[in-house]
Amino acid sequence: MSKIKRTSEDWAVDIFSYIFLTVFALITLLPPMNIVAKSLSAEWAIISGKVGLLPIGFQLNTFKYVVTNTQFLHSLLLSLSITILGTGLSIIVSGATAYPLSKRHLPGIKVILFLYVFTMFFSGGLIPNYLLLKKLNMLNHLSAVIIPGMINVFNMLIIKNYYETLPDSLEESAKLDGASNIRILFSIIIPLSLPVYATITLFTAVAHWNDYFTPMIYLNDSRLKVLTVYLRDVVMNVSDPSKMSEDELLNVSPEGVKAATIVASTVPILLVYPYLQKYFIKGILIGSVKE
Amino acid sequence: MKRISFKKDNKDVKEKSIWITIKKNYDMYLILIPGLVYLIIFKYLPMYGVTIAFQDFNIFKGISGSKWVGLMHFRNLLYSKEFFRVFRNTLLLSIYDIIFLFPLPIFIAIVLNEIKNIFYKKTVQTIIYLPHFLSWVVVSGIFINILSPSGGFVNNIISLFGGKPISFLMDKHWFRSILVISSGWKGAGWSAIIYIAAITGISPELYEAAKIDGAGRIKQIIYITLPGIASTIVMLFILRLGHILQVGTEQVLLMYNPTVYDVGDVIGTYVYRMGLGKMDYSFSTAVGLFNSVIGFVLVMIANALSRKLVKRSIW
Repeated sequence: MSKIKRTSEDWAVDIFSYIFLTVFALITLLPPMNIVAKSLSAEWAIISGKVGLLPIGFQLNTFKYVVTNTQFLHSLLLSLSITILGTGLSIIVSGATAYPLSKRHLPGIKVILFLYVFTMFFSGGLIPNYLLLKKLNMLNHLSAVIIPGMINVFNMLIIKNYYETLPDSLEESAKLDGASNIRILFSIIIPLSLPVYATITLFTAVAHWNDYFTPMIYLNDSRLKVLTVYLRDVVMNVSDPSKMSEDELLNVSPEGVKAATIVASTVPILLVYPYLQKYFIKGILIGSVKE
Repeated sequence: MKRISFKKDNKDVKEKSIWITIKKNYDMYLILIPGLVYLIIFKYLPMYGVTIAFQDFNIFKGISGSKWVGLMHFRNLLYSKEFFRVFRNTLLLSIYDIIFLFPLPIFIAIVLNEIKNIFYKKTVQTIIYLPHFLSWVVVSGIFINILSPSGGFVNNIISLFGGKPISFLMDKHWFRSILVISSGWKGAGWSAIIYIAAITGISPELYEAAKIDGAGRIKQIIYITLPGIASTIVMLFILRLGHILQVGTEQVLLMYNPTVYDVGDVIGTYVYRMGLGKMDYSFSTAVGLFNSVIGFVLVMIANALSRKLVKRSIW
């Protein structure tokens, strides 16, 4: 073992590295800290602009108000439902479709694959898609945010690539034993592919949960307001008018409500974040480092 | 004579075996059916709908009943000052993004790699990946809040140092910078992952050899780390150029307002406002199509370049 000599350059690089990363991490943390602080501060402190990184006049009324708001809860549940339904449908269809597509020797598969890949680079655009959903009577219907995005080709290709890494010998021996393709899919392929399914499920779930544009365009009915759209309304001060009188009643500042709503909307993501980290990183590695 | 019939036999046998294979694997083709139905209806039908860009589309008459105007909308587009502004904004925003936000994740990855303390490394990573998982509504909400001219965090600090509060999101000189900064805040940490992964692919033996030759940390970074991830960098750079006309529509939509349309309006938001706002369906579709085609060509070129130069491609 050679002796490791620490030079002054070593110190310089280390110090710089720690400082740079700490600064960057702080820049990442400071804005949310301000928002969280505001959500926990008293009305007078927020209005006079005194709130920095720590709450002043700590109170939980704002949060109570925000979290018990019927529209908030309704939107939360709606987003949850859409995420579960949309993700479930997506992973089933994508995972199933990816299997035949991983069998390049089958006649016609390459053509069908091309048909899918082509849509990654070219699409009808906003208006034609809108007009189509209008024609199909899907406007203002949950199907508008669940079905059009059902198969994300990029994600499906990740699943397909994963299938291709499974050893052929497994299927071959199963075939020799007389198993049908479907049998092989369900008994062998699916159980072995759980990691990639977990990754794609998380990718898809986060995308659904955070989607603003699609629900904003297609779900105009006030009963179909998803969490992102509701949050946007609150931030832009166009939330339900009944709020105004209740504000005075509870002595809750609108700025505090905005901050608390932002925080409350983020909690679900924070809860699953550890899993997201683990599987998302895996997914990036599977999907992109291809030689 | 014998040869020709031999060839004929071969072709017949081949055709027959294709059908046999299809029949034997009919269940695989069955599985493909839902996906294909979905593809045709929700992906290819809208592509056909692009024809309204060549029409004077009337929603009551539908595609079959609307008048043909050929390239009129495209001509209007090219001569439109408004579109020129929008196109310029999109390009500029993309260029700023590339200049400032392309190197940043690389830098982060390299610096992270220099850290030996695993706990610190993991903690920093956990923190900087998080904003990526927040929706743009949350992120724009945060930035709108802290940039507020009346009591926002940033302006409070400015006042503390004796300055006057700035209305960042209403200021034409600040708006683009805010878009880039918030985009970097949200995405730079996460984008570093690909480079972090690439760095772990570099053989440690190279570093050992360099150390023996007396190379210091900085020399190691320049001569081993950077070259080691060079092909990844080049591939991602070329692809980024291919997407130069695609700028975050959702982000801009959530952060812009009429006072900054001049500098902030991008192709995506323009298409949205013209199409669903003003209901100028044909023109909006024409703009979208124009954008799609150019984007398509750019990505194809970018991918071919990437394959030629560094042998890496997106498929």
